[in-house]
Amino acid sequence: MLGLLKQRAAGLFCFTFLALGLVSLINPAFLAWGNLRDIAVQAAPVCIISCGLMLVLVLGEIDISVGSMMGVLAASMGAMVSATRWGLSPWIAVILTMILGTLMGALNGWLIAYLRVPSIMVTLGMLTALRGVTEVIMGGTWITDLPPGIRYLGTGSWMGLPICLWVCAGVIVLSTWLIHRTPLGRRIFAIGSQPRAAHLAGLPIQRVKFLVFAWTGFLTALATLVSVPQLSVVDSGIGVGMELLVVTCVVVGGTSVNGGTGHLSGVVFAVLLMTMISTLLIFMKLGENATYWSRAIQGLFILGAILLDHLVRSKKSS
Amino acid sequence: MSAVWQWGSLSRVRTPKPTMSALQAKQISRSYGGTRALSEVSIELLPGSIHALCGENGAGKSTLIKILSGVETPDSGEVTLNGQPIPLGRVHAVEQIGIVAVHQEPVVFPHLNTVDNLFVGREQSKVGGLWLNKKGMREQACQIMHSLGETFSLDIPVGQLSLAQRQMVSMGRALLQECRILILDEPTASLSARESKSLFATMDRLQQQGVGILYVSHRLEEVFQLAQQVTILRDGQCAGTQPTSSLSRSELIRMMVGRPVENPSRQQKKTKSKSDKPILKIRGMRRDPVFQDIHLEIHAGEILGLSGLVGAGRSEIARAIFGLDPVDEGEIWFEGRCLPEGFTIQDTMAMGMAMVPEDRQREGLVLPASVEDNLTLPSLIELSGWMGMHRKPRHEASRSLIEQMGIKTASRASSAQSLSGGNQQKIVLGKWVYRQPRLFILDEPTRGVDVGAKEEVHRMIEQLAAGGSAILLISSDMPEILRLSDRILTLCQGRIKGEIASHEATQEILLQWALPEERDALS
Repeated sequence: MLGLLKQRAAGLFCFTFLALGLVSLINPAFLAWGNLRDIAVQAAPVCIISCGLMLVLVLGEIDISVGSMMGVLAASMGAMVSATRWGLSPWIAVILTMILGTLMGALNGWLIAYLRVPSIMVTLGMLTALRGVTEVIMGGTWITDLPPGIRYLGTGSWMGLPICLWVCAGVIVLSTWLIHRTPLGRRIFAIGSQPRAAHLAGLPIQRVKFLVFAWTGFLTALATLVSVPQLSVVDSGIGVGMELLVVTCVVVGGTSVNGGTGHLSGVVFAVLLMTMISTLLIFMKLGENATYWSRAIQGLFILGAILLDHLVRSKKSS
Repeated sequence: MSAVWQWGSLSRVRTPKPTMSALQAKQISRSYGGTRALSEVSIELLPGSIHALCGENGAGKSTLIKILSGVETPDSGEVTLNGQPIPLGRVHAVEQIGIVAVHQEPVVFPHLNTVDNLFVGREQSKVGGLWLNKKGMREQACQIMHSLGETFSLDIPVGQLSLAQRQMVSMGRALLQECRILILDEPTASLSARESKSLFATMDRLQQQGVGILYVSHRLEEVFQLAQQVTILRDGQCAGTQPTSSLSRSELIRMMVGRPVENPSRQQKKTKSKSDKPILKIRGMRRDPVFQDIHLEIHAGEILGLSGLVGAGRSEIARAIFGLDPVDEGEIWFEGRCLPEGFTIQDTMAMGMAMVPEDRQREGLVLPASVEDNLTLPSLIELSGWMGMHRKPRHEASRSLIEQMGIKTASRASSAQSLSGGNQQKIVLGKWVYRQPRLFILDEPTRGVDVGAKEEVHRMIEQLAAGGSAILLISSDMPEILRLSDRILTLCQGRIKGEIASHEATQEILLQWALPEERDALS
């Protein structure tokens, strides 16, 4: 099983580079530094949230509220810094956004871990409710006056790389450490692997679940902070569909939907591949309609990944 | 591995003063729903001794162990270790003070490797929990698994190990903890002789170090070989504690079974003419690894009892006959016709089989649905016309079944979960009765049913048999199986160990046969 999962990361790696090679043969402009950077910038927020959601899936739970959470965070961040609204300093807005994201994740976690409501129901409710909250905050208007302090998070760069890539790299390193080097990481995998055994072994199941959902909320806030200020406008549609993209990436990356297994490397490559699809289609010069296929292709990837997972498992059990 | 056997955690165990009783449980009671699993059970465990815990299926052994190890909280009673009350219902805290349990189902996490399995929940780390001490944990894991005589790689996920190896990992996990009391629940059930031997050697060593061991096993020869004391549980009550030296095997069995059994076996029924063709005939049925080499016949009007311990393969045989699980080999003849290869539940239902499953709540009923829906569920096709289901025939069918089965319900529209266990079971039976099957497979038909309803269910089963149906009865309740059956087959570890006419059978014989492997048992 471990071997196969490692192969999943390797397989995605090969697939990604095969696709890159093929497209750059058709259109060498694809390999231009600017284009590759654009893809990476596009992938970074997805990758940041995926690092959290992967742990949620490893626990055997699900969180489909991250897209709506992003919407609320973007709207509130915009409202905080906008001179025509609250006009707070960007620093305070950044800190408050992180706290708000963590709190929303913690609310999910509390309902799921301590009140034992199924995570699909809780986060489905949140998906709708938080989208509503976003619309209330926006009040039917757009926020167009983001101050340069906040815009820097989205457009600035440090040592030649955009800020969001640094944050993304930091989150990946932190997650790797969390998974492999801390007791909490090992417990997350243990609980997802065999909840009954975890109960008999006296693991703090509720606390671990709570922390993982809160952590996902925090990462969603980070993703919002580095992606939303890339544009000068905040509208109420930010983050729509994000949850599906993130779940797709995590599952295609080899995380079992039944909990217990997952590899960060696979998830990272899956994020790259998934965010590249639409760009790839454009550069393949297949005509205007080709880009409309990107969603369908994403869907096929998720079905393929689940099918592969299922086949591996049924082969093992027989 | 160093030649000197050294074992970090155990070398730190202090030997308690031998005069003190180490673990003492007083008046422990625990109920689940309406059923009393334990009632005022007391047990005392001395340091440096092995104390066996014996009892039939459902006598309350596992419940007692879950309470002692902090998995469950008792309704009343207290547990003390060296005079100090232990924190009830908190596994981690109970482990901290030195009470460690190895449960019957191995506590392993299939996706994690052995090192992680041993240490998860009590990881060793540096920098205040921010950096796992992987090297140190690995070395210690290596030592422990070696001391248990295991040499498999510690890096592969535990899910890929054999059942016995997984059991040893679970054992290793327990031994990692500095323990004063070790609780072992059926540790040898899935072990081979070699592994059992290294387990016994380990137990011996621990005993020398003053650890008190509570040992649960169905293998009585182990009980006599290892333990100094034995406590017998029966129907959730303590049936006595005795030194093993003062007991014989048959005395122990008698204590497990209870009261000098006056045999409640029913009067020998009118002997059926042997010319009867069997309704069900099975030849050489096998499904690895749960059962092998099963031969049996049931005639019209006959009740065949299938007895044995939990895990002996009884329910699995029932499921295979009914087409729920595939069989690897063997012929099944039903009313003179051989079932085709790969037959399914649709085939067996159409031919006239019915099954009452073991788990009434999950497999037998649709709990939130109404009594009527449940009763008519297997017969929906028969009860519908060309335009789909008609209300009237369903009403009539359910009304007559409620009457016939004596189901006590407010109305036929009440939900099944609002009924008592006994009445729920009557629904499960009743839904099949409507189809008038030729063979009933009844798996634990009176589990968790109160005495009055049990009596009624028994009467119904007898009526069904009198009406010419064949009945395969699986039950862990020995008086029940003795009373109802004409013949009884006893299974042990997936094989038929013996067959006996019920008027010759006693609980002692059945238990003797059900207990695994002892050469002199039948002599």
